[in-house]
Amino acid sequence: MQARFLTGVIDGAAVAEALIVDDDIVGARQRLDIYRHNYRASLTGVLADHFARLLAYLGDEQFGRVARAYVAAHRSSTRNLRYYGGEFAAFLAQNFPEDGELAELAMLDGALRAAFDAADVAALDAARVGALGDGWIDRALSLHPSVRLLDFRYNSAAIWSALDGDREPPPVTQLPGRVRLLIWRCGQQPSFRSLSMDEGAALDQLAAGCSFTALCARTIAVAGDRAAATVADWLGIWLADGILVAAD
Amino acid sequence: MSKTMPGTKDRNTLAYPGFGLGLRPDHYRDFLDGPQPVEWLEIISENFMVPGGKPLAMLDAIRADYPMVLHGVSLSIGSVEPLDRGYLAELKALAERVEPLWVSDHLCWTGINAHNSHDLLPLPYDAPTLDCVIDNISRVQDYLGRRILIENPSSYVTFRASDRSEWEFLAEMATRADCLLLLDVNNIYVSARNHGFHPHDYLVGLPAGRVQQIHLAGHSDMGDYVIDTHDADVCDAVWELYADACGLFGPVATMIERDDDIPPLAALIAELDHARAVAARMCEPYYV
Repeated sequence: MQARFLTGVIDGAAVAEALIVDDDIVGARQRLDIYRHNYRASLTGVLADHFARLLAYLGDEQFGRVARAYVAAHRSSTRNLRYYGGEFAAFLAQNFPEDGELAELAMLDGALRAAFDAADVAALDAARVGALGDGWIDRALSLHPSVRLLDFRYNSAAIWSALDGDREPPPVTQLPGRVRLLIWRCGQQPSFRSLSMDEGAALDQLAAGCSFTALCARTIAVAGDRAAATVADWLGIWLADGILVAAD
Repeated sequence: MSKTMPGTKDRNTLAYPGFGLGLRPDHYRDFLDGPQPVEWLEIISENFMVPGGKPLAMLDAIRADYPMVLHGVSLSIGSVEPLDRGYLAELKALAERVEPLWVSDHLCWTGINAHNSHDLLPLPYDAPTLDCVIDNISRVQDYLGRRILIENPSSYVTFRASDRSEWEFLAEMATRADCLLLLDVNNIYVSARNHGFHPHDYLVGLPAGRVQQIHLAGHSDMGDYVIDTHDADVCDAVWELYADACGLFGPVATMIERDDDIPPLAALIAELDHARAVAARMCEPYYV
């Protein structure tokens, strides 16, 4: 019975109407339509909530069409609605390949959302590093659970920032190369900034469990002794932003 | 002469904590900035089943000043599939964190075959469903180590398989499973309009000694039917039904449940004050 009823709700199958009492006032079909509407409204509603800047970019009507298409193609198999839009960016990339900024805006919305309630792990800051003593530079490091690194081909970050500030977004432009974004939670506030290719590569190494000593050695081997000052500058920023954690 | 509180002889409920509100993010700042005239807060369990960040930080900070109750929407107590052990583990962990006065969910199911409706789907009220629900409640209560509250749903369909009323189903369920009831007075009104029963019959059919909590909320009147939307003030008809409930059940922990078009906290507190006044008027004999 429950499988037939749910099929009636999700797919609109009329067979579910045979399960319920019909009447002259509302009618079995309209009664089931209330559940059908609730199902679609809750899923499209959570997409609108979690991808708010993409919604602002597309407008209610266009976003609604895209969200309904995603809902039609993706039955929810997650217990918590928080995770329902996990494949939304991939859906946009697949279905709108000529509008690459759509998937990127969704990726940025999604990464900021994930950073918002990512796990609480004590990040390394200047005080904690000081307490660890000189040996800390040889310990394996990792990135805070809120950190995401995204590679963009379009000026989607500028579009996102304009929408976030209620400003007219700039026209879409394809960038000459890829730009890497760092998304993380600073205190309780999700944030993002763009990275140089070198800083992005350094964070890739730290994400893989590299120590600070090993990072310095690899960076200097590639870029020469002058890179040591750059790595030191990065470290100061990473500790202030709270994106590093001890891996062990 | 004092009046005997209903259900006194077979009273199974926990201590009466007074009047509460559903905690919503719009009001975090109000609760952090200073004391509010609210005796307890209800949280939606699933909103805090997250790894960390601001939701849990706000929860811990506000919990330090207010007793809380957990209210879930995903237990799926009427599902014919086995209970979700992962969900139960998360619920138990949250209960250990919050140390709530009690834990509640709805008389419903939410999905099957790995697909979730994210809605509170209705059940047929018949013997096999009753056995299934009672068995599931017993498992949950054993796992959590506490009695739970089950809330009456708002519903829009009646199954052909149903052979008893919702209140008859709830009454037998509560007694046999030894659980408590969360009575949503607005849901009774909504379902009464949608199915054509008299709401007073519903109230008198419930075991008074097992009603632990009351929800009050608003709805959308579509003319031929009513939808439970929680996006409006409590209407006069629901206030009248609440007064009936107070007269029948005596003092019961009562809260305003608002989930959409959330007004400023002061507006909800004013609505809660109205509930206090109704309860004081209707429950006065019990205090004499």
